[in-house]
Amino acid sequence: MKKLIKFIPAILLVGSLLTAFTTVDKQPVKCLIQLTNYSGEGAYIVVSIVNDKANYEETLYVIGKDSEWYSEITEWWKFYGKSRPNIDAISGETISGGERTLSVLQIPKDKIDNGYSIRFETSVEDKGYFADDIQFELTSENLKAKVEGKGFIRYVRMLPQ
Amino acid sequence: MTISIWRYSHLVLALVSSLFLLVAAVTGVILAVEPITYQTKGYAVHDLEDVPLGVAINALKQNYDEVLGLEVESSGFVKAQVLTMDLETLDIYIDPKTGGKLGEVEERPYIYTFATNLHRSLFLKSVGRFFVGLISLLLFIIVVTGLVLLAKRQGGFKKIFNKVQKDYFELRYHVILSRWFLIPIIILSITGVYLSAEKFDLLPDSIEVPQEMDVDHSAEVFADIQDVPFFKETTLDDVRQVEFPFSDDPEDYYRIALSDREIQVNQQTGAIVTSINYPFTVLASRLSLVLHTGEGNVLWSIILLLASASILFFMYSGFVMTLKRRKKGKVSIKMPNKDECEYIILVGSETGTTFDFAQRFYDGLSKTGKKVYLAELNKYTTYARATHMIICTATYGEGEPPTNARKFSTLFSNIKQPNTISYAVIGFGSLEYPDYCKFAIQIDALLQADSNFTPVMPLCKVDSANHETLANWVDQWGNRQGLKISLEHTYIKEVERVKIPFELTERTGLNVDDTFLLKFRPKQKITFTSGDLLAVFPDESGLVRQYSIAKINDEVLLSVKKHEMGRGSNYLYALEVGDVIEAAIDVNAHFHFPEKSAMAILIANGTGIAPFLGMLQHTRQKQIALFWGGRTRNSSLIYENFLNGIITTNEKISFMPCFSREDEKRYVQDLVREQQNVVLHTLTNDGTVMICGSLAMQHEVLDVLETILIENTTLTIEELQNKGLIKTDCY
Repeated sequence: MKKLIKFIPAILLVGSLLTAFTTVDKQPVKCLIQLTNYSGEGAYIVVSIVNDKANYEETLYVIGKDSEWYSEITEWWKFYGKSRPNIDAISGETISGGERTLSVLQIPKDKIDNGYSIRFETSVEDKGYFADDIQFELTSENLKAKVEGKGFIRYVRMLPQ
Repeated sequence: MTISIWRYSHLVLALVSSLFLLVAAVTGVILAVEPITYQTKGYAVHDLEDVPLGVAINALKQNYDEVLGLEVESSGFVKAQVLTMDLETLDIYIDPKTGGKLGEVEERPYIYTFATNLHRSLFLKSVGRFFVGLISLLLFIIVVTGLVLLAKRQGGFKKIFNKVQKDYFELRYHVILSRWFLIPIIILSITGVYLSAEKFDLLPDSIEVPQEMDVDHSAEVFADIQDVPFFKETTLDDVRQVEFPFSDDPEDYYRIALSDREIQVNQQTGAIVTSINYPFTVLASRLSLVLHTGEGNVLWSIILLLASASILFFMYSGFVMTLKRRKKGKVSIKMPNKDECEYIILVGSETGTTFDFAQRFYDGLSKTGKKVYLAELNKYTTYARATHMIICTATYGEGEPPTNARKFSTLFSNIKQPNTISYAVIGFGSLEYPDYCKFAIQIDALLQADSNFTPVMPLCKVDSANHETLANWVDQWGNRQGLKISLEHTYIKEVERVKIPFELTERTGLNVDDTFLLKFRPKQKITFTSGDLLAVFPDESGLVRQYSIAKINDEVLLSVKKHEMGRGSNYLYALEVGDVIEAAIDVNAHFHFPEKSAMAILIANGTGIAPFLGMLQHTRQKQIALFWGGRTRNSSLIYENFLNGIITTNEKISFMPCFSREDEKRYVQDLVREQQNVVLHTLTNDGTVMICGSLAMQHEVLDVLETILIENTTLTIEELQNKGLIKTDCY
C-alpha cells in the first residue's frame, strides 16, 4: 500500500505531461478583418468555431481586451461566461469604423472539412450586436476566400500559411 | 458682493463633483505613473528621423517570415507584430535599423487597466463616461471661478504672481499652488471634456473622403523595398502605423498612417494609391489624448502627476477653508434689528483698527447667543431693548473725533434712551501723541454725566491696538456679564510694503510754524502720483509714518511739521541732503486728482497743501481754486517757489490764502463760506472738492459744505463722497 502511495505523484506527473503534449495539430490561417465606416466606439469581435448544431466549440480570437463589455456579446457570453477560460493569448486591441486588423488564427485541423463553422460576432457600444456578422463552413476551400459581412464587418480575408 | 457669487459657485461645484473628482484625481495620479515607468524600459529610438521606412520594413522581413504590422509610438518605441517560427503572432519592440528584437510587449499591468476603467467610466459604461465628461467640464468651471477669485485676492489679473499674503497653511498653499497648477489643470479638464465629447458623437461629423490618386501604371517595379522612392524618402518620425499587405499580390497595399494623413501604397512601385487627410477633429483628438495622458513625454507626465495630486490637495484645503469660514462668518451675516438688541456696540474709527476690534468683539459676543447691534457713532439713535452699550473710538489730531463720530456729541444730547444702560468705553490711540485717547475721554465724561448711563468698567485706553490689553478687557467685561467671549485674532491683513531707497535732494529749514519741506528722489523706478503717501520708518520698531506727497519732476515733495515729540518728523528733520532712506510709496487711489472733472476746489491748511502743489503742476486745462489756511503771511513763504510759477502762468488757477493770526483772522472754512458761489458752481457741475490737512479743519469744512448744500441744493455730503466728488485725506 505504501509503495502505491509513493507512485501517485509519479503517475500524476506522467499523466499531466502526456495530456500537455497531446496537442491537436493546428492550421495557422492569416486573417484580415476589415470594418465598415460606422461611427462610434471600437468594435468587440469574437471569432469562434461552432459545430453543426451551432454550439460553441472553441474561441479562436477576441478583439477587445476590456472584459466588462464581454457580456454584451450575448451568444458567445453564454458559452464563455460560464467557465471564463484565460483568453489573454488570443486577444487583441479594438479597432474602430473603417479600420482593419490582421491576425493569425490557429484552427485545429480536425475541425476543417468536418462540418464545423467559423463565426464572427461583433458588438459596438450603443450601436448594436450581430451574432452572425459572418459565419461560414470551415472547408479548405472557404479558408482561401474573401467573405462579406452583414454588420460592422465589411469583409474578412483568410490565407492559410 | 460679487466675490461671494464666485466663491459660492467655486464651492458648490467643488462639492457636487467632489466624489467623482476624488476618484478621477486618485486614478489620474496612478495613470500618470504609467508613461513614466513605460519610458524607463528604454526601447526608445532616438534617431527616428534618420531611419527610412524601407530600411525598417526590410530589416523586419529579414528577421521574420511574416510581418503583420509596425507601429511607431509617441514614446519613440517601435513596435512590430510578427509571426514566429511556430506561426504564432508576437508583439515585440524592435530596433528599426536591424530588425532586432529589443523586448516583448508585455501585458498592461492590471492596476493601469483597472485605473483607466475607473478614470474613464467609473465601471458604469456609457453612463459613467457621461458623468466623467461632465465632471471634467465642472472642473474647468471650477478652475475659471478659482482664477477669478485668485485675481480678486491678489488685486487684479496682472498681479496674480505677486507675493501671497501670509495666512494659515491651507489657505496660503491653496493660493500658491493654484497659480502653478492652473494651466495643467485647465489643459487636463479641456482635453478630458473633448475626449468625452468625442465618445458621445458630440463633435461635428467628419467624413473622410479618400482621394484616389492617379496611378502611373508604367511606374518602375522594384525588387527591393529599400529602393522604392516612397519608402526611401519617408522616415520613421513621420510614421505612426504601418499595416503590411495581406499578400504579395500588387493589389494588396501597404496601409500607412502618417502624422497628418492615411495612405495606401503599392508595395512594388511605391505609388500612393489613395490618400485621406485627417480632419481637424482627429488631429485635435490625438493631441488631446497625448496632452491628457502624457504618453511619450516624461516631463509632461510628471507635471500631470503633480497636477492630479494637487487636485487632491485643493479639495482638502478648500474644505478646510470653507469650514473655517463658516465657523467664523456665521454671525456676521445677519445683524438683528437695532430695537431687538440688548447689546449695542458703537464705533468711531478712521483707519480700521478700531473697527476691526469692534467687529471681532461683535462676532465673539454674538456667538454667545446674545443679540448685538453694531453701528457707527454718527448713527447714534434710540435702542428699544438696549441694556448694554460698548463704545470703541479712536481720537484724531488734538482730541478730535474720527469723521464717523463727529456728530455723536450733538446726537447724544438730543436723544433720550428708553432704558438705563450699562456702558463701557474703549479708547484707541497711541502714546506718542500728547492727546492720547482724548476723544474717548470726552465721550466717557459725556456718558457719566447722564443719569441714564451707568459705567460697568472704567475707561480703557489701548495703545497701538495692543492685542493683550484688548483680550484682557474682553475677558473682564465678559466676566461681569457672566459670558465667555472668545476674541478672534485680527481680521486685518498686514500690508506688505516694498521698501526702496530714496535720496534727499533738497530741503528747507524750519519756517515760523516749525514746518519744513523735503524733496526725495527715488533711486529705483517706481510709479506714483500726487496724493499718494510716503511711508517712512523712523526706527527698527516697525513704526510707520505716512506723509501726503506731491510729485514734482519725478521727485517726491513732502511738507512736514516738526512736533517736539514726533518720532517721524524729528527723524526726517535730522536728514541732510544726500542722505538715503528706505521708504515706501502707499498708493492712495481715493485721493488722486480726478481726471474727468473739468473743475476742482482744493482746500488745505498747514502742511496739507503738499499734494496739491504736485496736482497743480500737471493739470493744464482745468479750472482750479486752491484755498489755503495758514497762521501768518510768513507761513506761506515756504511754498512760494512752487506756487508763483503756476499762478502767474496759468490764469485758470487761482490761489486764495487766509491767515488765522493776521489780516482778517480767518480760517479756511470761513473762506469756503465766503466763496460759496464758486463752491456751489463746482459741485453742481460735477467738479471735485478735495480736502487735505488737519482733521479739525476737515470737520469744520464739511460742516460748512453741508450747510451750503442744504441751503441751496438737494445734494448731500454722503452722496458726493460716494460719487468721489468730495475727497478727503486728513490726519
